[in-house]
Formats: sequence, C-alpha cells, structure tokens
Amino acid sequence: MNFPHLHLLLNHWPIIGTFIAFGLFVVSLLKGNGDFRRSSLIIFAVIAFLTIPSFMTGVGAQEVMKGQVGISAALMQRHEGAALLTLGLMLITGGLALAGLWETHRDSRQSNSNIAAILVFSILTLIMVIRTGNTGGDIRHSEIREDTNVTTVSEGTFGSIVSVFEPNAVKFGSWMAYSKWCTAFLMDLHFIGLALLIAAVGILDLRIMGFAKRIPLADLHGIVPWALVGLGINIVTGVATYMGSPEIYNFDIPFWLKMSSLMLLAVNVAVFYLTGTFDHVERVQAGDDAPLSAKLIAASSLLLWVAVIVFGRYIQAYEGSIPFHGAN
Amino acid sequence: MPVPEFLQTLENSGLSTWIRESQSVFGFYFILLFHNFGLAMLVGASVIIDLRILGVVPGVPVKSLEPLFKIMWAGLIVGTISGVLLLLAYPTKALTNPVFYVKLALIAFGVIMAFRIKNRVFDNPSVSEADMTGSVSMAKWSIVLWIASITAGRLLAYTYVYLIYGTKGAVLFDIFKII
Repeated sequence: MNFPHLHLLLNHWPIIGTFIAFGLFVVSLLKGNGDFRRSSLIIFAVIAFLTIPSFMTGVGAQEVMKGQVGISAALMQRHEGAALLTLGLMLITGGLALAGLWETHRDSRQSNSNIAAILVFSILTLIMVIRTGNTGGDIRHSEIREDTNVTTVSEGTFGSIVSVFEPNAVKFGSWMAYSKWCTAFLMDLHFIGLALLIAAVGILDLRIMGFAKRIPLADLHGIVPWALVGLGINIVTGVATYMGSPEIYNFDIPFWLKMSSLMLLAVNVAVFYLTGTFDHVERVQAGDDAPLSAKLIAASSLLLWVAVIVFGRYIQAYEGSIPFHGAN
Repeated sequence: MPVPEFLQTLENSGLSTWIRESQSVFGFYFILLFHNFGLAMLVGASVIIDLRILGVVPGVPVKSLEPLFKIMWAGLIVGTISGVLLLLAYPTKALTNPVFYVKLALIAFGVIMAFRIKNRVFDNPSVSEADMTGSVSMAKWSIVLWIASITAGRLLAYTYVYLIYGTKGAVLFDIFKII
C-alpha cells in the first residue's frame, strides 16, 4: 500500500460518481422524480468529499513517481492543474447539493436558483473531471497518448481551451504559503470555523445524548446549516493550507488520521439521515429523550469531531512520520 | 527595556524545561490540545447563545440554553490551566509579546460580556422570550470579541520576538513549525 496505490483506489470514484449523479439529476428534472433528485444530490455531496483525499493521494503519488523513467513531470503537472480546478468545482457542486438537500428537507421543494446553480456547476465539473481523468491516464498509459514527446506537453483543441483555466498547482501553493501572514490568516479562519462547527455539532449531539433536555430537538436541528458554514470555511482554508506545503502534510501520520476521521464522519452523517433515525429525532420535544440509535450516532459524531481536533493539533508534532520511499 | 532575568530563571526550571523539550505525546502538544478544547467549549457554547439571541433557531426557547453556561465555565477553566502551563513553558515568548496581553484582555471582555448576557437574559425573570431586542448588541459584541480573541491567540505564533530567553524567534524555526 503506497500513495500511487491509494490514488488509484480513490481517483475513479469522483469521475464515475459525477456521471451517475449528473445523469440522475437530469432524469429527475425531466421526470419530476423526488427520489432520483435526492439521490443525485447525496451522490454529488459524497463525491465532493471523496475528491479531497483523491487529490491528496495524487500529490503523494507524484512525490513517489517523480524522476522515474518514463514518467513525465510535465504530464503530472498538467494533470495536477486540472485536478485542482476539478477539486474546486467539485466542492462547489457538493456544497450546492448539500444546500439543496437542506431545502428539500425543510419543505420538499428545491429552489429554482439552487437547481440552476447545480446544473451549471455539475456540467463544468463533468467537463473537468473528464479532462482530469484523461490527463491522469496519459501519465502512465503511453499507449493512449497521441504525442510521444513528453517533456513539453501539446494540447488538442479541447485541451487548449480548458488549460487556460487550469491553475499551476505549484504556483497556487506558493501563494498560499507566500508569507507566514498567509498561513496566519488561513489558520485564523480555520480556528474560527472550528469554533462555529463544534458549537453547532456539539449542542446538537449533546442534546440528542440527553444534555439540556429543555431544548426541543426538532427546532434545534435548524442549527445544522451553521455547522455546514463552519465546515465549509474549514474545508476551504484546510485545502488552501495543504496546497501551501503538500509534501509536509502528505508524510504526516496525524494528518491522514484526521482525513480518515472526516471520512468516517461522512459515513456517520449518512447513517443518521438515510436510516430514518433522523425522522425519530425530529419528533423529540422539550423534555423528551431521543431514541438509543440516535444517541449512539450522536456519541460517535462527537467522538469523531474530538478526534479531528486531536489529530489536527498533532500534525505539527509528527512531521516526517511517514518515511519517503521515492525514486529520488 | 531589557528582558527581565526572572524569565530565564523560570525557563530553567524543571517543569518549564520538561514541557518545552519532552518528546512524550503528553508534552507540549497535549497541553496545547487542551487549550484548544477550552477554546472550543468556551467560544462554542457562547456562540450558540449569541446566535439564538440574534434570532437563529427561533423555536428554541432562549432559557432552555442555560445549561450551556456550565460548558462555558468548564472551557474557561480548562483553557486557563492549560494556558498557565503553556506560559510556564514559554514565558519570555509570551510576556515580551504585546499581542499576548491583547489576547488576555479580549478574553476578559468576552467573559464579562457572557456574564452580562447571563444577567440580563437568563437570570432576569422579567425579560420575556420575545424581548431579546435589548440584548442583540451584547450578542453581536460577544461574537466579535471571541473572533478577536481567537485571532489574537493565533497571531501569537507569528508575532513573537523571543522564542526563549536570549534567542530571537523565526531564526530557529522554519515556516512550517510556526504554524
């Protein structure tokens, strides 16, 4: 198990998932099918989440593959630029999908502006995810490359248009770590996002577990969008900080434990909403107890968020904890 | 003004040296972690009350949030104990940095604001649920003060002049370790 292996395990999901979600979304618009709609939004959100470790294992794969015979640095750089743009579009689409899911939960109607925005961004994401897949395949599969020259990359028509929008990942990263004040700013926002996120998630989980029973749970659930705002701030600042020094984070054990905890939290959320536990929680009034299944899910949620904070704090202490087995 | 020598005496003490230099997982970062927990509890609980006063989740009765104050005080205690230990580890770094005093002042103001909100909104039987308008500005100030406190705290890592007595900062540490 190494970074290229992990990258291969992860990187196909965002591509195939976007196709499936987009297909379901369009069909749901044409047929007015609510189940398809919700499913497509859930898949958009899940795929957005998965794109983050997919990107990061890609950086790790690049570190390992650099300098190997037959592997072009220029091709990897092109792929990384496409991937970075895709990551941004994917996160926006996923965020819009979560907003759409919240709207349908409230009153079963997704707003027209949300539908339009998802349509626009999912199409852009689809285009870029195809581009990313193609440029990624080019790195290893010389049999599909039209151009045997790999030191300078040449683009076809599609590539020349799209590459205008693709950032240079290394330059982007150097802006993020331009000075310690950039890092200070990003980390400041990261802590503020953390406070907002833990505040909302904390009070909700604690109430489900039985603390402060005078709070009516159905109404308290309305705090969730604020948790998502905190999460959004932390995903953006987190990815930006990561881009500033990706090699440092990639070879750090607590960093990956933190990412894994976040993925587990996504599973936790899915279990809460998709198993119908949430429907029981919604009916809990002031003074009432939530069902045991809800309490277990809430406890694991709180525990995982504490783990995220713990691992995040220890990132700095365990720099270099993953040994580097690269070609150079 | 020269750096006072008692700071060096403090840093040479056993406890201070242990916190700074121990490789144990229960060393410096463990204490820093609990400082972050304290922040999360203190600011987190206060922010929920502030948001409610500002009209978020209006179906939740304001007074039902009173147990959150227990979390706030617990967070303040955890933050203070861990803060004292951190201060013992790096007294020169903190006490020669004006930002440190700004941070303490901001936290003090934040706590005072929380007391005032508790008095006006929770301990006052004559204030009804519908009558939050008088408390709105306190809630806004509370949020501003916590954001400012977090910022001041974060900036400590980037604005110090002396890491330890006699050694100017940033020369020893690369950018990453300053994060």
